Amino acid sequence: MEQVILVILGMLAVGSALGVVLMPSSIYSALMLLFNLISLANLFLMLHAQFIFAAQLLIYAGAILVLFLFVVTLLNPEGEHIFRDKRKLQRAGALTLGLVLLIILAGGLIYLITGGPSFDFAPDKPGAYPYGTVEAFGAGLFTQFLLPFELTSLVLLVALIGSVVLGKRR
Amino acid sequence: MTSITFTLVISAIVFAVGTVGVLLRRNPLVQFMSIELMLNAVNLAFISFSGRFGTSEGQVFVLLVLTVAAAEAVVGLAIIVAMFRHRRRIDVDDIHAMQG
Repeated sequence: MEQVILVILGMLAVGSALGVVLMPSSIYSALMLLFNLISLANLFLMLHAQFIFAAQLLIYAGAILVLFLFVVTLLNPEGEHIFRDKRKLQRAGALTLGLVLLIILAGGLIYLITGGPSFDFAPDKPGAYPYGTVEAFGAGLFTQFLLPFELTSLVLLVALIGSVVLGKRR
Repeated sequence: MTSITFTLVISAIVFAVGTVGVLLRRNPLVQFMSIELMLNAVNLAFISFSGRFGTSEGQVFVLLVLTVAAAEAVVGLAIIVAMFRHRRRIDVDDIHAMQG
């Protein structure tokens, strides 16, 4: 049963990713991206990452995608039909490079699964909380990764200042 | 096929699709969405390995990636809006210099 749900979610993720790239209108692309984000969030849930599931829905589907939709409706860019594009060389190059990347990634995966370094070892020191719960996540975040967590506030501050500067009318 | 193998395959495919989107599309908004696709694919790989090893480091990394993605979306979309204000039509082939 779990496998079936996993396969369905995976298919939805890949299909909606193709939709983002192939849809002629950018508002459809944005809605396909929403579809993709939700199916990936559900995949995270299937992998027992409950907090990341909630964060994905809130931050990506809730905040970032609304920003995307806002900008798409504000700018209202004309659609583009990539199959009717004149620049054939560019299109062929893009598809070739994507295929090469996919082959490289698939090769790495096959190496990892068959042979390769074994990754069957147990965690060094099992945490106090069961894997995947918010408690275990918070314990990792606020002890071992406290400094990176604090530094994210700096990243957000810089982004805030940057967007204000860029948005200012000259 | 175990679930981690399957999710890693999905992650690889979505990443490659995102790369093709960046290379194929000429609209910077859609290119941006493809970059978000790639970030999400990497997040899926992080979660898969985190589940495999049974530790939460991968999940912490995903949270940091989410933060960076939010910051990147804000700044990138501000740049696209500024670009559009300048020349009314957005196509990455028309943009040659930082100062237009």
